[in-house]
Amino acid sequence: MSRTPGRGAPQLRLRLGFIVIAMVLSFFGARLVQLQGIDPNSYAAMAAAEGVEEVVLPAERGDILDRNGVALADSVHGKMVIADPLMTAENAPEIAQFLAQRLGIDYFTALERLRGRKEGSRFEYVARRVPSTLANDAVDELEELGFEGIILRDDPVRDYPAGDVAANLMGFLGTDEALGGFERTFDRQLAGKDGMARYQVGAGNRIPLGENTVVPARDGTPLQTTLDRDLQWFTQKVVAQTVQSYGARSGAAVVLDTRTGETLALADYPTYDANEPLEADEDDLGSRALSEPYEPGSVQKVLTVAALIDAGKVTPRTRIKVPPSLDRQDRSIGDWFDHGNLRLTLTGVIAKSSNIGTVLAADAFSQLELVDYLRKFGLGQRTDVGVRGESAGILTPGESMTSQTKDRVAFGQSLSVNAMQMAAAVNTIANRGVHVTPSLVQGSATTDEGVTVGTDTAVETRVVSEQAARQVARMMERVVDENVGVAPRAQVPGYLVAGKTGTAQRVSEKCGCYDGSTTVSFGGFAPADDPRFTVYVVVHAPTKDGGGGSIAGPAFSRIMGYTLSRYGVPPTGGKPSRLPVTW
Amino acid sequence: MSSPAVQLRNRVPRIAEAAVERARLSVVPRARNRAARVPFVTLVSLILVGGIVGLLLFNTSMQQAAFAATALEQQASDLAAREQTLQMELEELRDPQRVATQAQQMGMVVPPAPTFLSLDGEVRGMKVPATPEDGLRISPPPVPKPKVLDPAPTIVKVTAEPTPVTKDAQAGKKKGKKAQHTAEHKQRNARQKQR
Repeated sequence: MSRTPGRGAPQLRLRLGFIVIAMVLSFFGARLVQLQGIDPNSYAAMAAAEGVEEVVLPAERGDILDRNGVALADSVHGKMVIADPLMTAENAPEIAQFLAQRLGIDYFTALERLRGRKEGSRFEYVARRVPSTLANDAVDELEELGFEGIILRDDPVRDYPAGDVAANLMGFLGTDEALGGFERTFDRQLAGKDGMARYQVGAGNRIPLGENTVVPARDGTPLQTTLDRDLQWFTQKVVAQTVQSYGARSGAAVVLDTRTGETLALADYPTYDANEPLEADEDDLGSRALSEPYEPGSVQKVLTVAALIDAGKVTPRTRIKVPPSLDRQDRSIGDWFDHGNLRLTLTGVIAKSSNIGTVLAADAFSQLELVDYLRKFGLGQRTDVGVRGESAGILTPGESMTSQTKDRVAFGQSLSVNAMQMAAAVNTIANRGVHVTPSLVQGSATTDEGVTVGTDTAVETRVVSEQAARQVARMMERVVDENVGVAPRAQVPGYLVAGKTGTAQRVSEKCGCYDGSTTVSFGGFAPADDPRFTVYVVVHAPTKDGGGGSIAGPAFSRIMGYTLSRYGVPPTGGKPSRLPVTW
Repeated sequence: MSSPAVQLRNRVPRIAEAAVERARLSVVPRARNRAARVPFVTLVSLILVGGIVGLLLFNTSMQQAAFAATALEQQASDLAAREQTLQMELEELRDPQRVATQAQQMGMVVPPAPTFLSLDGEVRGMKVPATPEDGLRISPPPVPKPKVLDPAPTIVKVTAEPTPVTKDAQAGKKKGKKAQHTAEHKQRNARQKQR
């Protein structure tokens, strides 16, 4: 066994070995310092992120329901379709064609996105709010065809199954937020709260004993309205037809349940399809019935007369001499029809809608008294039904009202109201003199301004005595009388109907003055001797000749007839009013 | 040596001498444990292997369950989405607009007022026939065409001189007075102008 002397020396081998080990260990040490000493957190985070998946569990948005629980707006599982242009640019035309056919999106937009709008882009929305099943099927098929680079993420879809039904009230959603109507007003209630899940994933599956935390999503609470979808639809169609056939600017109609003040329908025209809000004129998105105040005209006479009777100043048979025109301090007041000296009872004044007669009767009231009554009828104050941008209307306080203004207010000019206020005011007569604040929401809900609205907060206030209300209803029956009234076309065959027409000079937004256009309206209720529903129709600026009786009257009749039949209210068989109109 | 104690002491060893001699400690030869070693080793190995295999199987089955859970979750969400989509389609079918359109196509009209039949044969309400005038316009009016596509009608006034005209031209004249848009009638009008 011969050994070479150098290598054989154990001392030397030991030393060399130590040196090598020391060198290796010092490398390890240096690396350790690098990992632990310099920014250890980023490495820890990287380690944690490896294989841990964090998923947002989207909360389902609450539905908006009608009074029978039918959805006016509902949420559907949806997906956003996202492209990675790096992978899709090559086959963009094929993929775009496929997606355009399957998802009904625009081919050229899709093509642009698939190619990437910016150099090096790796994330492009191809489509948003696609129903989940549709998107899944399409992407599965794309993968089978061998195209890659399209992925899906959760993106709930808001669907308005009935299109334009109650669209003006419901509002709509933008891409990521509620943009109008109930959707925005009650967003806090509807939106719910997204949840979150964190778990470790291996090859697309959860690792059984790995980290796993789930914060469940809290779904939004549905909002139940008092609207009746089918009645709302019908009312909207009647209003639309009326506005179109008379070439009017806009129109609105309100259907109230007399006893509870619940709004069964609130129609606006022009309206829009809630599924396509961007295609509509921006001015049409809100509810004009509440946001645009107008001068109510002669429907107001009903309130004046009810107040006068309640105060014991007049009776339905009070005899009034109506001259051809009435000269007051600053100008003369005329009637809508030329006449000589008439001898009308108060009932006749209402049936013929005489301004002069109303002014003469209202002379028994001071400004303060009249305004006080009108306030109790709900004029000049917001109804707070939960609709955005509601106008309170204008009612001059009694202290600062001149007697000329009072004369005009008595027959419905020089004050402004919104359609809901006026409907609720007419409803007061129907509801035996008790004013019920109208409501649009079942139960209660809190608006984004912190106001609680809904049927739970409805307030009843007695405005006039039951006797006075009944007498006024009897007088209003004469308005739709074929022989003595001005609005026979507002009659619903077989029923006793009470109502009042209104034709007012309309203030133009452009000049802020009366421009010759009119606002025609009709408010009434049926059955007159046991009222169940109050319907109020208003049409702004019709271009064809007509008044409240001929334009709004027939619309009232149709809506009322349909409502009575829908809720199965039979005729009462009561005797029609025989109050004299002349003496 | 005369004391009794000493005598006693001397006497005892003498008596126990043999026993003491026997009881002297000595190294015991190591007892050879002849218990079989194989079964024990086998048992331990079995427990070990069984444990490992069991753990493996348990882990695998858990993994399997996780796969199943993921697949089922996926299926559940797919089905939920399908249900919602079907619900959405159903709601679209229930859309009052669609129902009304179909009803109208079948010739149905919303009556102006209802009548009620009671069980004793009494009819309440006024029987009013529903007429076509009661028909509700449920679709929006057609969008007006731009001027380019809908030019003003060309109206040609023709003096009533008794010129011999063909029947065809006469028909054209009548129609020409009304608003006519089609190219064909324009041509006819042009012909009349030439005359």
